Amino acid sequence: MDENKAMVIFQPSGRRGKVPKGINLIEASRLLGVDIEALCGEKKVCGKCIVRIEEGNFEKYGVVSGMKNTSAWQPEVESKFINAENQAKGYRLGCTAKVEGDLLVFVPEESRAGKQVVSKAARDIRIDWNPAVRLYYVQVVKPTFKDCMGDFERICHALAREYGLPEILEVDIKTLQKLPGALRDGNYSVTVSVWNEKEVIRIQPGKVEHAYGIAIDVGTTTVAGYLCDLTSKEVINTASMMNPQCKYGEDVMARITFHMTTPDGLQRMTDDIIEGLNDLIAKAVAETHPPLKKVKKKKGEEGPDEFIEAPEESKTYLRLKTEDIEDITIGGNTAMHHIFLGLDPQFVGLAPFPPVIHHSMDIRARDLGIKVNPSTYVFVLPNEAGFVGADNVGVLICEEPYKSDEIQLIIDIGTNGELVLGNRHKLISSSCATGPALEGAQLSFGMRAAPGAIERIDIEPVTFEVNYKVIGRDAWRKFSEPHEMKAKGICGSGILDVLAELYSSGVITKTGAFNKKLLKDHPRFRKNADTGQPEFILAFKEESSIDKDIVITQKDIRQIQLAKGALHAGCKLMFKRMDIEKADRVKIAGAFGTHVDRTKALTMGLFPDCEIGKIGGVGNAAGDGCRAALLNVKKRMEANWCSRNVEYIELTVEPTFEREFMEAMQLPHMTDQFPHLEGIVLPEILNQGMKDAK
Amino acid sequence: MSKSKEEFMKALSEAVVEYDEDACRELSREVLDNPDTLTPYEAVMNGLAAGMEEVGRLYDTQEYFVPEVLMCADALYAGLDILRPHIPKADAEVKAQVVIGSIQGDVHDIGKNLVKMMFDVAGWGVHDLGRDVPLEQFVEKQLDTNSEVVAMSAMMTTTMLGMKKVIAMIKEKNPECLIMLGGAPVTKDIANLFGADGYADSAGNAVSEGIKMIGRLREFQAGKK
Repeated sequence: MDENKAMVIFQPSGRRGKVPKGINLIEASRLLGVDIEALCGEKKVCGKCIVRIEEGNFEKYGVVSGMKNTSAWQPEVESKFINAENQAKGYRLGCTAKVEGDLLVFVPEESRAGKQVVSKAARDIRIDWNPAVRLYYVQVVKPTFKDCMGDFERICHALAREYGLPEILEVDIKTLQKLPGALRDGNYSVTVSVWNEKEVIRIQPGKVEHAYGIAIDVGTTTVAGYLCDLTSKEVINTASMMNPQCKYGEDVMARITFHMTTPDGLQRMTDDIIEGLNDLIAKAVAETHPPLKKVKKKKGEEGPDEFIEAPEESKTYLRLKTEDIEDITIGGNTAMHHIFLGLDPQFVGLAPFPPVIHHSMDIRARDLGIKVNPSTYVFVLPNEAGFVGADNVGVLICEEPYKSDEIQLIIDIGTNGELVLGNRHKLISSSCATGPALEGAQLSFGMRAAPGAIERIDIEPVTFEVNYKVIGRDAWRKFSEPHEMKAKGICGSGILDVLAELYSSGVITKTGAFNKKLLKDHPRFRKNADTGQPEFILAFKEESSIDKDIVITQKDIRQIQLAKGALHAGCKLMFKRMDIEKADRVKIAGAFGTHVDRTKALTMGLFPDCEIGKIGGVGNAAGDGCRAALLNVKKRMEANWCSRNVEYIELTVEPTFEREFMEAMQLPHMTDQFPHLEGIVLPEILNQGMKDAK
Repeated sequence: MSKSKEEFMKALSEAVVEYDEDACRELSREVLDNPDTLTPYEAVMNGLAAGMEEVGRLYDTQEYFVPEVLMCADALYAGLDILRPHIPKADAEVKAQVVIGSIQGDVHDIGKNLVKMMFDVAGWGVHDLGRDVPLEQFVEKQLDTNSEVVAMSAMMTTTMLGMKKVIAMIKEKNPECLIMLGGAPVTKDIANLFGADGYADSAGNAVSEGIKMIGRLREFQAGKK
């Protein structure tokens, strides 16, 4: 190994590589294509580039990271921006700390240049109104010597009389403590929040019209929260963030391994996600207030910065507080579910992958450390199996294939791919290890959906000219000057496009190998000077903002093929199990579910042949399912029903898995015909035989 | 006009590389019809196995991918099934033995099967334990068979940790035994850290590693001659 180089890994982007020792972290981030905010241009004055050095042995990456591998703390610069507490936590200024050994560096959201585009936006789905938490306004008679019934009983009595609620309700101590004050503040009229017609969880003085809740989808990579009005079903705000556990590894296996190899690993990950959820909720709530503007200081004036509100005209602000959150639903894959609850996830990671619990749970938010209204309950969606978790249950209750006659195939693409097949008569599910390739990780120029990410690609047959669109710019390459593109990498939807386009234009053959005969002297095709690997240039250096050609390498293509092969093979094995030839409808869910180009998804053979009109993206169905559970308690029951009535199939133990997987790695498939691609893909490409491919 | 020895070996090798099962079969039968030109053993080692070596090279350069490699394997076996019964006992003598399996908790075995095949072709005695193999079973099988090599595969980081235990268990009983690791989450550093003797860096690369082992075996044989 080169002694003058060190391995640096940036999280959460996952970008990694060897960099020369002695450079600072900002320089390292540039070499590896990570964007850290550095407003002052490394003059050590803006304090924007705060990053955290992770301590410990990260087996997954094979690095032992720690402060000892950086240059010494510089009090005169760094103490200005980082207090002692954060210094102890490992925070440094990226422009000041130099690389002296292997490092795992976490870049906090606020230090990231180019904020992530929220790809988990809520979709307009029909949800019946039947929330677990309902508001009841009651006026009670003031106590007298003749009638000195207790405050709580007085309220229960009124609730029973006016709304037919059970005469005896339960109440949480934290709510009870606030009751006498609220009752008198409201002059004996109060609004009572009742959970599941069973327990009083909040009492507010006077008449309150709206209650709020938040539905949270804890993804392996992204966490999305939907702040909803429980009375109007409206989505007030959507907030998302990277899962703070990303620093322990990109996929669930890496997280589980971290727990198995680190004594307090589980605790650290649980703490991280709880802290993250509190931040997320605070962020979602804060955005219901007008934005803050810094007050300009007079010349010479000292002291801390002051802020005033700068409301936009003709806009009303709800001005919510975290205590206004009265209900929470949470879904995630089984590993995320376990880690969130502090349950040992290691058996989920070992065949035959049993979860600790299938059933849903109602847990007091404060018992989990979630800072909302103190008596609020968290509804945790149930798990189906070790690799098909509460997130998949969310997809099911959102898409309701169990109510349809059509046989639906639902593909949820995440770091782990989950498949559901069936209709009202029978439903089966399975999971396949797609790996993070389809989300952009582990590819040479993969990145998350942020400005500069190539999200759409077209490649011309014969000329192999590439036209593409990046996030943050409406005009395609064809209609832009090179320097206007500012491309940085490729994100999820671009990755699906790229494989389909490389294939349908003839750049790669059916096997996925570059068509060397056709590409021979093409300026976009070359061998990488360092690795000797063939690669194809998507965006030339002058079109990029990272001063590099953006390429897709043969190895990248292989990674995508592996992922798509696993999904496709999974679909086929499930068809076989259901004894059907094809599905009536294909739904693609996941972070980029709404961005999927269905024709291209079929062209690359992400799933078996299907009528294109019957393919559709359903967005982040897992999150929408959490939202449905938040607004409709019936959905919670459906969720429990689903979790026990969907038959889980372990695909890898199917005797034909190996063969199916292998055949499905080719484009769109080694042997299967794709009649619905006729007229879309050139016949000489669609019908190329294995021999032509060589 | 009949083919020369070199032509036969080249044609066999090419048929494997071109994953042409029919050609492999046909050529193998032809080899049996021409016992004076070359022996079935030569046809296997310098024809079929040499072709598989080329496949490994193509895989290394990413020109071939798992599906192609598996098809090449099908072609190879088509020939092997015909030629092998005709290899005299002396030649067919087992060169060395290997115990192979996917570690406990792991049900992925495509890569392991490829590696197994390579050992098989190279004339090793292969003891395949299958997948989700309990840790002790590796140790027991090694002791029972006195195999020179134990090859383990893990495709998940969670199961990978079991390999370390097996290595310790085997080395304790039999320090001479060579251990080779493979599978997606395993790296060379991890293999070293766990105390393994050999390493293949992914399911597919295990193929070329397996092929390299044939190469090493051949060098070893050449050295002996």
